[in-house]
Amino acid sequence: MNDIIRRNPGWTVAIALLAAAVVWLIVAPWSAGMEATFGRKQIFLNALFNGITLGALYFLVASGFTLIFGLMKNVNLAHGSLYLLGGYLGFEISEATGSWLFSFVVVFIAVAMLGVVLQYTVFRRMEGEDLRQTLVTIGISIVLADIMLWLWGGPSYQILTPDWLRGPVDLPLIAAVRDSGEVIYLRYPAVRIAILVASIALGVLMWLALNRTRIGMLIRAGVDDREMLAASGVRVQIIFMVVFAFGAGLAGIAGIVGGTFQSVVAGEDMRFLLASLVVVIVGGMGSILGAALGAVLIGLAEQLGSVYAPTYSVVFTFLIMALVLAFRPQGLMGR
Amino acid sequence: MSEQSLGGGGADGRRSLVARLNAGLRSLPPAYGVVGVLLLLMPLLANDFFLFQIFGWAFILGMIALSLMFLAGYGGMVSLAQMSIAALAGYMVAILGDSGATAISLGWPWWLYVPVAILVAAAFATFIGALAVRTEGIYTIMITLAFAAAFFYFTRQNYTIFNGYSGFSNVVPPRLFGVNWRSPVAFYYLSLGCAVLSYFAVVYVSRAPFGLALQGIRDNPRRMAALGFNVVAHRVAAYTFAAVIASVGGILLVWQNAQISPGTAGLPAVIDILVIAIVGGLVRPIGPFIGAFIYVLLRTFSPDVLEALALPGDRFKLIIGLGFLVVVYWSPDGVLGLWERWRSRRRRRRDPLMDRGSEP
Amino acid sequence: MSTLETRSLPPRSVSERLAAAGTANALELRGVTKRFGALAALVDVTITVKPGERRAVLGSNGAGKTTLFNCVTGDFLPTSGTIRLFGEDVTNFPPHERIRRGLRRTYQISLLFKGLSVIDNVYLACRGVSRGRFSLIRPRKGDPLLQSARELIEAVHLNDSAATRVSELSYGQQRQLEIALALAGAPRFVLFDEPAAGLSPKERAELVEILTNLPGHIGYIIIEHDMDVALRVAESVSMMHNGRIFKEGLPSEIENDPEVQELYLGGGGHG
Repeated sequence: MNDIIRRNPGWTVAIALLAAAVVWLIVAPWSAGMEATFGRKQIFLNALFNGITLGALYFLVASGFTLIFGLMKNVNLAHGSLYLLGGYLGFEISEATGSWLFSFVVVFIAVAMLGVVLQYTVFRRMEGEDLRQTLVTIGISIVLADIMLWLWGGPSYQILTPDWLRGPVDLPLIAAVRDSGEVIYLRYPAVRIAILVASIALGVLMWLALNRTRIGMLIRAGVDDREMLAASGVRVQIIFMVVFAFGAGLAGIAGIVGGTFQSVVAGEDMRFLLASLVVVIVGGMGSILGAALGAVLIGLAEQLGSVYAPTYSVVFTFLIMALVLAFRPQGLMGR
Repeated sequence: MSEQSLGGGGADGRRSLVARLNAGLRSLPPAYGVVGVLLLLMPLLANDFFLFQIFGWAFILGMIALSLMFLAGYGGMVSLAQMSIAALAGYMVAILGDSGATAISLGWPWWLYVPVAILVAAAFATFIGALAVRTEGIYTIMITLAFAAAFFYFTRQNYTIFNGYSGFSNVVPPRLFGVNWRSPVAFYYLSLGCAVLSYFAVVYVSRAPFGLALQGIRDNPRRMAALGFNVVAHRVAAYTFAAVIASVGGILLVWQNAQISPGTAGLPAVIDILVIAIVGGLVRPIGPFIGAFIYVLLRTFSPDVLEALALPGDRFKLIIGLGFLVVVYWSPDGVLGLWERWRSRRRRRRDPLMDRGSEP
Repeated sequence: MSTLETRSLPPRSVSERLAAAGTANALELRGVTKRFGALAALVDVTITVKPGERRAVLGSNGAGKTTLFNCVTGDFLPTSGTIRLFGEDVTNFPPHERIRRGLRRTYQISLLFKGLSVIDNVYLACRGVSRGRFSLIRPRKGDPLLQSARELIEAVHLNDSAATRVSELSYGQQRQLEIALALAGAPRFVLFDEPAAGLSPKERAELVEILTNLPGHIGYIIIEHDMDVALRVAESVSMMHNGRIFKEGLPSEIENDPEVQELYLGGGGHG
């Protein structure tokens, strides 16, 4: 990091100034003049937080994808199907048991097991054949999508927020100042804040696990040199299976989150596969930090875009991707 | 097509074009001759539905899949953006020519909008190529898929140029030489002609310096750079070349359907082109057309077959997906690969002394 | 081998080249260092090779010889230092730009197009350094580049196998093809990376013959472990050890130098 700062002093100053400006925009109350030009601060804050929490959702899905591909070089284009399956299963289980949290547990296990099956039947057989893995997983996603369409049909399903997370929460940010001088703070849905906090915690845990534990080191070493790892007596395949299962399970529970934020409906598999792809292209393959950065960037672009430039919000996402590809093809945090 | 060595056959390099064409045609395997005659006489054998919906559609999808095969088979780059490029050309025809959306369509003459449509699509493809070729292998698939998605979402949301969700209707071919080119027989020959031209163009170019260089880059980009080739420039140029073929397919597509909408290049359609190219086989240019026929037949008739078997007719997507899975799992070279292996096994059984490896 | 001189489509006329050949050094490396993380593969390498000069770079495994070649061709960017080719600073040029200025290279492990025939391979090499790389027209029978390709194949004794697929060639034939690729177009300077590796004694003799009979204006650097071959085809020698050049001189001097003998010849050293 210090290296980068030392080598690009101009960029660093520019980004620091930009960051300071953004922080000021968020924290300080807006004058009437500002509100006239930018619209109400409340709308801005809402869009901002929607973007960040959507980014949290994208991070959950994309981090599983980047783990599986970036670390294990396994291309799994059925990742979106895992997401959607998690959503549908989450709906069924939370409806049947009435417990939102319990569905997380069950879905994680179920989708992780499906991930293990995938890993065993597909990726182990086609070790190193990137294109073939891609094609097989595309085929699997087509088949899974149609089966899910058969079972659950076209309508969208909404996973209900549990009672203890329902309703808004007051955030210590100034949304507006009334003429009387009374300050109104931002009220934001509690469930989204909860998911945001949980995603950050999960991201930190994953980063620590990969970079600061022995198992993480083994995983990273195993990717670089499988023969060495196998020769040193460690059960390579079991480690990889665990990582794959974890990544798959993550995608599944992301489905529950998405089903709560938005809804579960046919076609979301493609949408979230694409989101994972774009996030990983922007953030860089194999990097948890990159996935987080890319996810927040894309989430913000989508939400801020849909509020301030609705016709072209989609374009912003792909514009960011095109810019990254043009100037830093390995991704922002990629090597 | 038999492997022609560099420099062509014959003693004198300055033979007439006709003489060379004759030699080329004579070098084709006899099966091609039979198929060729059959195709030419098809309107006498098949009904209008078959000519227009089955053959026409198969030729169109075959051409778009051929553009994918060119990039993947000869260039080693699997591009999922070909359908979008084709659709862009189709959109341009609707926007620059005549359509039901009179507020947008410019009403240009056909000899202007057809080349411009191809140019615009080729420019788009060059842009995508420039961004996609600096990364390796699997990333190309991901990036082109993302661009295909971007195109879909953009055309669906933009109303000023692309007329958003509804797209364009009443897009028909111009009435040239007093012929309604959208009538089944005429359209059949039009699409057959374009398909044949694009097929032979690909075969020819594959042994021209451009095509050879592309294959060299596929096999060993480092070596090609060390021989003086600008690898990136060649790869991007391949995208441009493939786009021309895809564009023609796209123009025929919009004329066949008489309409175009965002769904034409939606993700299911994009994946279908990949399925067609893979199932047919990426090694030879005839593969995409074989794949297209299989796809079109499955797509058109499996709902009926399913219902005859008392299964839900909507599940044809499942059939196609399962078929694709089976092919990729057991025969990554597609149907052609299966055919080659079966042939070489039969040859070996017949005369083990004469066994020669199959052609590249 | 006079046919090699009248190569088609050189970047400049022969007279211009010969004139320039007298004025600039063919290859000039100044202070070239290449680090891979903590590993320094090349340290402050300075080499000057005159046009037409034949130099051998010797050293044990891991001394940095192949890394040197990779920096010169442009596969790697040096961490620091400059590289000049015929007086032009090519330090930041991509590989294909250097090749188009007359540089060529062979590889330790043949990098050939296994699926294509011998004539296709050589034709591609000839194409790479001339115009018409993007040509969509197939070459006719009398195409000048095809002619050059055929002459080149003759020069390396591969006439009978011109239409054979490379995957079906013997190892020795593949190495010969590797050399043919390096001599395509109008090479001015060639990097030969262990051309004698794996060759039989007869094939080695052929290799020496090909190398010594190259036209006078083509200079080269040869990396070789076979001292016999190396000292017979070189007029000067640079010794590398641990990424540095530690001695330069005539073959006879190097052969008898005690330091060299201890480190490399006698001691059977390791990197």
